[in-house]
Amino acid sequence: MKLAPGDACPDLDLPDHTGRARTLCELASGDPVALLFSRGWWCPKEQRHLREVTALQDEFEVAYARIVVVSIDASEVQAAFRAGLGARFVFLSDPERRWLQRLDLLEQTDTTHRPYRPTAFTLFPDLTIHATYDGYWYWGRPTMEDLRQDMRTISRAVREDFER
Amino acid sequence: MGDLPKGAARLAFDGRELYAGTGPGRSFMVDARCLQGIAVPGAYAHVCALSDGAAVLEFDQPEVQQVRRDALAWWITLLGDALVCLTTLALDASHYGGAITVTRAPVPWSEDPFARIFPGTVVRSDLFCEVAPPPGPVLERYAGVAWPGGRF
Repeated sequence: MKLAPGDACPDLDLPDHTGRARTLCELASGDPVALLFSRGWWCPKEQRHLREVTALQDEFEVAYARIVVVSIDASEVQAAFRAGLGARFVFLSDPERRWLQRLDLLEQTDTTHRPYRPTAFTLFPDLTIHATYDGYWYWGRPTMEDLRQDMRTISRAVREDFER
Repeated sequence: MGDLPKGAARLAFDGRELYAGTGPGRSFMVDARCLQGIAVPGAYAHVCALSDGAAVLEFDQPEVQQVRRDALAWWITLLGDALVCLTTLALDASHYGGAITVTRAPVPWSEDPFARIFPGTVVRSDLFCEVAPPPGPVLERYAGVAWPGGRF
């Protein structure tokens, strides 16, 4: 499954960083979403990028938008990583790589961890994809300004009173 | 209090007991989902509120914002499977009267971030239902609908 702008992102069903069953639709809960597939806590590029995203969470929280991170790390590992980052957004855990295979997001060059290939999607509240970012190379990831601009575009489209 | 906004329910607290709807003590508005569904019997409700009507803050004050950030950051994670639900206690469209965290078992209540604003009282209750914890954000969506309830 190769996802592109305009496609419907699957409603991922995975445990969160507390081990509680979640769905992406439930987490979106009517808001735009930045969905980030991450290699895992051990990757210095992920650490760097997620520190940036964590800094951006203050804006997401007051702008009625959501951040969701997916990785192969176990829930308890994600909880520790999340605490270390100071993140308040939700991590989804896929150690069985259940969605990794269905989404065709295997990181081909890391045969040790077999993690997700760093990939980001910005989503409308109904999980329609607005934009995709292939972050195999670090510069392919969305910058914080990219995420702001995407959230602005989506919010303008879905919030009836955005333009007054 | 006038009519309830959609998504809100009433709860009363007299300093020792909780009452769904109206009852003795102080009346609050809560996230209605916490009282709708199959209640968890004998749950532990940590009520970080006072029966004194003077115990009130505005929702937008920084300390009220921060304890919700703390709830998202680590309080919910700390509670794990013990969590049943949580809700802030709204007095009206803009005033915060406290919060309740409901669990299946005793938990480290001394860590409750909401207790930094108003001290907590543990109340055994059969009123509360399981509600998935909020993924965010930390702001109310509609005036008078207690966080984390309500949606656009």
